[in-house]
Amino acid sequence: MPITRRKYLSSLAATGAAALAAPMVSPARAADKLSIAVIPIADCAPIYLGKAKGFFEKQNLDIELSTQGGGAAIIPGVLSGQLQFGFSNVPSLFIAQTKGLKFVGIAPGVASTGISGKDFCATLVPGDSPINSAKDLAGKTVAVNNLNNIGAVAVSAGVKAAGGDPKSVKYIEVPFPDMPAALADHHIEAGWMVEPFVTIARSRGNKVVDWPFVAIAPKVMIAIYFASEQYATANPDIVKRFKAAMGESLAYADSHTDEVRQMIPTYTRITPEIAGKITLPIWPAEFNRPSIQALADDSLEDGLISKKADVAALLP
Amino acid sequence: MSAPATSVRARTSARTIVWLQGLAGLAGFAALLEIVPRSGLISPYYLPPFSTIVVALFGEFHRAEFWTALGDTLEAWAIGLAVSLIAGIIIGIAIGSSHLLRTLTHSTIEFLRPIPSVALIPLAVLLFGSKIQSTLVLVVYASFWQVLIQVLYGVQDVDPVARETARCYGLGRWAQIRYVIWPTTLPYLMTGVRLAAAVALILAITSEVAIDTQGLGKEIADTESGGAVAAMYAYLIVAGVIGVIVNLGARALERRTLTWHPSIRLESAEAGV
Repeated sequence: MPITRRKYLSSLAATGAAALAAPMVSPARAADKLSIAVIPIADCAPIYLGKAKGFFEKQNLDIELSTQGGGAAIIPGVLSGQLQFGFSNVPSLFIAQTKGLKFVGIAPGVASTGISGKDFCATLVPGDSPINSAKDLAGKTVAVNNLNNIGAVAVSAGVKAAGGDPKSVKYIEVPFPDMPAALADHHIEAGWMVEPFVTIARSRGNKVVDWPFVAIAPKVMIAIYFASEQYATANPDIVKRFKAAMGESLAYADSHTDEVRQMIPTYTRITPEIAGKITLPIWPAEFNRPSIQALADDSLEDGLISKKADVAALLP
Repeated sequence: MSAPATSVRARTSARTIVWLQGLAGLAGFAALLEIVPRSGLISPYYLPPFSTIVVALFGEFHRAEFWTALGDTLEAWAIGLAVSLIAGIIIGIAIGSSHLLRTLTHSTIEFLRPIPSVALIPLAVLLFGSKIQSTLVLVVYASFWQVLIQVLYGVQDVDPVARETARCYGLGRWAQIRYVIWPTTLPYLMTGVRLAAAVALILAITSEVAIDTQGLGKEIADTESGGAVAAMYAYLIVAGVIGVIVNLGARALERRTLTWHPSIRLESAEAGV
């Protein structure tokens, strides 16, 4: 876009009409405005940090960030072109892919820590529960935030790795914020939660029985920043600059966790106190393809997707 | 009526009593909200005591986002209600005045009207994403029917003798609408306004909760997903207070517009207002 505008300008100058056009188009290339939707969770701190640090400005990008309840809600916005980029977890993109929607990953989003005992998502049970390990979850009912998403895949992988039968686990849908209460009242036997609810639930006497992401892959790339294939093909230059700015933001966030913790309460309603306590994910600056492939394989095995996900198409 | 001074005093005290009773009811409710969590009947983690909620509410007043959200919700409400009113009045009078149009549209209206506005959420998201337009789709769809139906009934209620008389006196189309149809329809319309104003607010906040368009509803969703439980309840209180104000406003408008109408005159006499 800016290149054609510049060409247009120079052709105008050639015909001596530049004086007329000058007040409308500034000679310096204006920053490209981008609408980007993310989720108000700790995972998205890097893009807010990057914006504050001027990493996007440096790439001549003016990003406008909005928040959505989940990646599934962001996908239609990216598809319709109202959003240029979005943040979504990878399984939602696999599901979209099997429905024929074409998206491409632009930059890494967030990854699990790979440390059992210190991850940002966990399977919890009430403190007095007889369930003590992932294996004990076999035959039990586990709450996940969304039946058609990563939660059930992760819990099943954890049960399988512990030697239990993942097929015997039943799943029900309970929103994350309701899980600590549902556990306390024994409405659910176990719940798969992410931060800040892992910290909140643990502070109220519930115990962690599994850190299931390590069962999928050492460090699972759970979410990525994506665009529609159509947009990415038509705007290779913007994609390149966004990728560069994101890379810098991710690396900065990963090495400045204090600033991440300060940033979280500014775009979420997580209190500074909780933001100081939660376990943060990690932010690799490069795609972790093997982990995404592992996620694709597990998603297929668990029936989350009906046909093989095309990882190569998602991450060209 | 023989002693106006006494009756004015009596009216004032009657009104004061009604207000006091209403406030006593609210105070009782607040006390209940304070006692239930403190007694442990419901864990204060999930229902903080009323005093904690009030503290959180004052905390919200200091955030710029609160006022932006309030403005966004009121904007969506006002635009949606205005569109519904204008469309409802014009289309209502047009359809109501024509027997042919009435029979042609009756089945369609009865088919479209019961479709819950929230069922249009996927459609609104696909069309507009998380923008105010999405909220407006839901708000207008829900409140338009409230106005339209009332206007339709109002127009049909016009006294045939009055209508024929106006025609005999050679009143033009506009004069008929202004002097015959409008006064008959107005009380119905005011009922429609009151219903639509409340429904518009409900749908504005619903759409903000469900599709993350900016406004109080999104704050409710965000505080919930951030674990800020007291602040979430604070927003529920704000939503409730706006609802009360909207209803009081609509009733005051109704009373002012229809001072001449028997229903209001009767109500005023009974209530001593």
